[in-house]
Amino acid sequence: MREISDVNILKKFCEEFCTIVERHCKYIVVSGYLAIATGRSRATQDIDMILERINEKKYSELHKDLVQNGFVCVQGDTVHDVYEYLSDNTCIRYVYKDTFLPEMEVKLAKDIIDSIQLANRMKIPLTNVDVYFSPIEMNIAFKEEYLKSEKDLEDAKHFRIVFKEDIDEERIHKLKKLIRDVRLK
Amino acid sequence: MKTSHNDQVEEWANYIKHNPDKWREQHTHFINAQIIMAREALERIKQQKNGKQKIIELFGIKNKNLIERL
Repeated sequence: MREISDVNILKKFCEEFCTIVERHCKYIVVSGYLAIATGRSRATQDIDMILERINEKKYSELHKDLVQNGFVCVQGDTVHDVYEYLSDNTCIRYVYKDTFLPEMEVKLAKDIIDSIQLANRMKIPLTNVDVYFSPIEMNIAFKEEYLKSEKDLEDAKHFRIVFKEDIDEERIHKLKKLIRDVRLK
Repeated sequence: MKTSHNDQVEEWANYIKHNPDKWREQHTHFINAQIIMAREALERIKQQKNGKQKIIELFGIKNKNLIERL
């Protein structure tokens, strides 16, 4: 019979990756993985991350550190080529060098919404994952106002139940307006 | 009575809320199982005719070192 370890594969991958990133720049983990780390029972193989808008030199140091610690970038191994994706606001993906799953999807902050998320990043004890996430209210606002797929609406519902006593509805309302003004114009 | 998927999402979220010591172990097994199964499926794809090319296309791999390692 297949052995399934008690160590959560996504948690281990995420914490190892984020520990390296934190040495170089500010980051947040957003969207689906936050839902999963707070108990949502659905499949995923990737984790989405936003980095502060670093320049190529700083990215080069980060990339080198990631590679030295067993990660590879799927899109390429030349820093200049990979940074072009990032500067075009396209995400790049890192995996462990010996397996393609899970993967970390990384992109640079592109507007004021991403900057607000980075400025308000937080650790969320319920996750038991020692990394920085974007605030719950921002995740709900994004999923209900911008992403809107069935999966995203279910994630938002999950957050609303699990964090019922902590959610600031007024904040969600303001963030939804900001999303409409900045991303949906 | 048959419940909808939406009801199941709600039931599970409430289970997490009211069973903080129980849900994590079950959840970890679920998360790990789906990743392990996907990894095994990729290994089987790799063994197929043109399997390596299929993996390259599936993941959009452009990293030459990664391609060589396949």
